[in-house]
Amino acid sequence: MSTTVGRSLGRYRAPIVVVAMLSSLLLIVPFLVLVATSWTSGSFILFPPEGFSLDWYAEVLADPEWTESFRLSLWTAALSTAIAAVLGTLAAIGLTRVRHTTARRWIRTLFIVPIALPPIAYAVGLYGVTVDLPFLRGTLATLVVGHALIALPYVFVIVSGGIARIDPALRPAASTLGARWPLILWKIELPAILPYLLSGALFAFVVVFDEVVLAVFLMPPGEQTLPLQMLNASQEAFSPELTAASTLVSGLALLVLAIVPVGRVLRRRAGRAASPRPAEGQAAPEGVTP
Amino acid sequence: MTIALSISDVHVTLGHNHVLKGVSLDVRPGEFVTLLGASGSGKSTLLNVVAGLQAVDSGQLTFDGVDVGGRPPQKRNVGVVFQSYALFPHMTVGENVAFPLLAARRPAKERRAVAAEMLALVRLPGMADRVPATLSGGQRQRVALARALAAHPGILLLDEPMAALDKQLREQMQVELTRIQRKVGITTVSVTHDQTEALTMSDRVAIMRDGALVQVDSPEDLYRHPVDAYVAGFLGEANLLPTSGGRILDDPLGEDADGTAVLRPEDLELVPADEACPAWHVEGTIQLLSFQGTRFRLELLTDAGRKVVCSLPTSVDASSLVVGTRARVVCRDPERVHVIAAPPARPVPVAV
Repeated sequence: MSTTVGRSLGRYRAPIVVVAMLSSLLLIVPFLVLVATSWTSGSFILFPPEGFSLDWYAEVLADPEWTESFRLSLWTAALSTAIAAVLGTLAAIGLTRVRHTTARRWIRTLFIVPIALPPIAYAVGLYGVTVDLPFLRGTLATLVVGHALIALPYVFVIVSGGIARIDPALRPAASTLGARWPLILWKIELPAILPYLLSGALFAFVVVFDEVVLAVFLMPPGEQTLPLQMLNASQEAFSPELTAASTLVSGLALLVLAIVPVGRVLRRRAGRAASPRPAEGQAAPEGVTP
Repeated sequence: MTIALSISDVHVTLGHNHVLKGVSLDVRPGEFVTLLGASGSGKSTLLNVVAGLQAVDSGQLTFDGVDVGGRPPQKRNVGVVFQSYALFPHMTVGENVAFPLLAARRPAKERRAVAAEMLALVRLPGMADRVPATLSGGQRQRVALARALAAHPGILLLDEPMAALDKQLREQMQVELTRIQRKVGITTVSVTHDQTEALTMSDRVAIMRDGALVQVDSPEDLYRHPVDAYVAGFLGEANLLPTSGGRILDDPLGEDADGTAVLRPEDLELVPADEACPAWHVEGTIQLLSFQGTRFRLELLTDAGRKVVCSLPTSVDASSLVVGTRARVVCRDPERVHVIAAPPARPVPVAV
């Protein structure tokens, strides 16, 4: 495809390629600057950095405030992603059972709304819930619920897209072969959806892990998620600790995102003999991974 | 006469569409019946009604004399081959074929044995460990058939079974499918819009139009004795001409006509100019003469503006057939002339 597009550009090809290269630089250069400032041996975030040391990394990794907030972020994000994955998948499957076209369109829109609404709306609303239900005060329940709400549309959209690519005759076929709905769900529909479910969950996790607005409102005092910790660090002292921590997290994120394509290649290689789904499972994740 | 499948007075409405308008059909045990009709005629809906995938407004459905109208598809014991084949992509061929046994909670050993047996039946032995994505279209169809037959259903339903295959493979699979159907001896209802497929595979063909059955008969009877102009024109090519008192009456309005003669192009032959007019003859101006390998195709336009198509053997002297000259054609065998009681529609005006 890229070659035909390339050819069709004709004499505009060279300038377009240059612009594209510059744009991609725009995406990556800020990150490179960030990495560079964390190598400084001074005590300020400066570019170009003064000298070279990994002291700030040691500082971050030794500081329980950073490691604790990282751990906290990791498990709250995992929990809300799990909730979003279950609800989003059920919503997407359930929507296929709605026969009425107009109703289906409205329900679909409703499930996508959290992407469009500002997070502050959910933050304020859930904060009100904590005030009214005192037993939730001091727990992370509202934060996890809020994050699950924000993550749900990503799972829902990607899984819905996946379902649309699956042969609609599979379910009637299974039912004429004697399968009832639990068997159809477990043996036919979920396995077919699984690749979409995984990429939707991954996307949701990345979004939730970085989320800070809800965290500001809903974190119990004394605890901090990583994005909140970074926000606070940037307001208190503009220390290279901050950029070192960011670099570590970004590195981790890149690693996770890299695992997906590598896993895909391995699966495809193994699939020459055994695996089904040649094209279906892979196109969508490629399109959506951030 | 025993009846394996009986559909009586079935009505189905989808939204504001009256899709099936009182359809009744009886199928004998082991019979192969094809529902043939244009798209939108309701043939697929009727198949879904039999499979239990479509609820009916009213009407009765019995298998071997037992009312199954209230049963869900799981309990109807039907095997369905879907147009897309609907093979489960994440399962192997063997798992696909044995799926009905998995649904019935049969042990793994039995499932493997049945899968092997069914794959042998459709001539795909040793393919159990492949996945559907690696199979060709014809192989997928065989797997779908094996899966549909695995639970020994009482009735086999085929929804446009050849639609996804190319022409050459289609003819091959028609023979193959008929062989398997005869061998298993299963009562079969198929749906298609392809008339060749319907004629080659079926014991009887049911022509559907606008949610109703127009005629149910053997392929030959349908071709020779169509009940109306629609059936005559749907199966093969037919010349529909007004008749009155055993003669063809070529008047522009067809007002005096009391019937329609169905003349098949291959039953017509040329009448020499010096011969007296035989009974079933028609005269017109030659519009087109084309050589088609084994036959000549001759098109006449009658004085009233009706088109008549003849298929002539190549032994005919083509030199006398010049476009623009007059010619007479006749059907000499009165047995071959089928007369429908209703007069035909008026001819479409042709610009000369």
